Amino acid sequence: MANVVLVDTQKCMACRGCQVACKDWNRLPAGATKFRGNYTNPPTLQAHTWNHVVFTETDKGRWLFASYSCMHCTDAACINVCPVGAVQRTKSGTVWPDGDKCIGCGLCVQHCPFHVPQVSKATNKMGKCTGCAERVSQGLRPACVTTCPNGALLYGERGEMMQLAKDRVDALRRQGFSEASIYGDLEMHGLGRIYVLTEIPSAYGLPETPGYNASAWIWQLARRPLGTLTSIGLFSGLVVGFLRWRGERIQHKDNYSI
Amino acid sequence: MKVTRREFFKLTGLAALTAAVVGCDWDEDPILSQPLTDAKEVTTICPYCSCGCGAICYVANGKLVSVSGDPDHPINEGALCSKGASLLNLNTVYNFRTHNAEINPNRLTKVLYRAPYSKVWEEKNWRWAMDKIAKRVKETRDASFEAQADGVTVNRTMAIAHLGSAALDNEENYLLAKLMRSLGIVNLDHHARL
Repeated sequence: MANVVLVDTQKCMACRGCQVACKDWNRLPAGATKFRGNYTNPPTLQAHTWNHVVFTETDKGRWLFASYSCMHCTDAACINVCPVGAVQRTKSGTVWPDGDKCIGCGLCVQHCPFHVPQVSKATNKMGKCTGCAERVSQGLRPACVTTCPNGALLYGERGEMMQLAKDRVDALRRQGFSEASIYGDLEMHGLGRIYVLTEIPSAYGLPETPGYNASAWIWQLARRPLGTLTSIGLFSGLVVGFLRWRGERIQHKDNYSI
Repeated sequence: MKVTRREFFKLTGLAALTAAVVGCDWDEDPILSQPLTDAKEVTTICPYCSCGCGAICYVANGKLVSVSGDPDHPINEGALCSKGASLLNLNTVYNFRTHNAEINPNRLTKVLYRAPYSKVWEEKNWRWAMDKIAKRVKETRDASFEAQADGVTVNRTMAIAHLGSAALDNEENYLLAKLMRSLGIVNLDHHARL
């Protein structure tokens, strides 16, 4: 994974610019929402909302903001469990949902530890952040990073971003945030979205030890070759049948008159 | 086309072979066709708060396709907040059901006039509206103009107020303030006074 997004939660002012820029660039429709007692709106990611800002109020009365979207895990559950290979890894390292192949089975929804993929009821396709693969491949930064007014979202080479994150954590510790930490270095073998947190990850709604059920992956590993074997079997059967028919035809040439 | 039994089997085999090869995944990155490279760039100022962030409108084939922050603008340096990032939606919205881009149905494109005590909006043209505004301003000013108040020369009208706009540039705001002052209007304000 070459490039990652660095989310500096302490710099975020929760303007939701990333949320809107994402919708704007990816041409996602807006939907009516309700107030549910929390400023996080919509409360979860949706098939047509790929990025949202999560608001959490701590016991100390401090607000925690985090721009939340697909983590583009190195060991991505969605890629491994998809029965039709509709979720793919792009060359830029992001996890891309292929709407043409998706059958809307919802396995990725079940197994993602971050609850990122969602299946649209209208189109029956999974929708999630694409990491702006088409922007990135043309040398642009993702839409959310481009629009961020405070530099809370940064985009760059993984090692560089990790160094920046470490410097930020050191600075935050000096400012008195003793729980300041980096999230995304080792989780899921490295996330494509690194967070600088001032509290423990669960305070931000992030799982402390993300992971997924390996049995689902093993089942898919077994199921995929079965599909391949079936098509090979069909094809070889056809060839054998043809050869046999041809042999018969040569033997009784007079019986066939085509 | 006449197909013999033998040719039929040949073609079937060929089709199965093609499917086996072509059906494999291509190791290519997905590319979406975002026609920004061909689009004409038009700079504008965000109309919302008084910060005056710069934005670029991308126009392709006479249609607005995208709006993003202007990296060369000294105020926002390419960034936009949620309100600024939604500028495109003043013009274009995406249909919730069909996912198609369409012109924002809530956007006003004609002058609407509601007469006093009326319940309906009437469509009017710009000429009519400008004349009406000029007439009303003159009437109100003539009726309410005071040259002196408490023995002091004031030359003012207190019956008219003016609301400026963050969408206007410096020169437009200067001209508007000049016009309002010359009419004797002292109640000047701004719609995005922070």
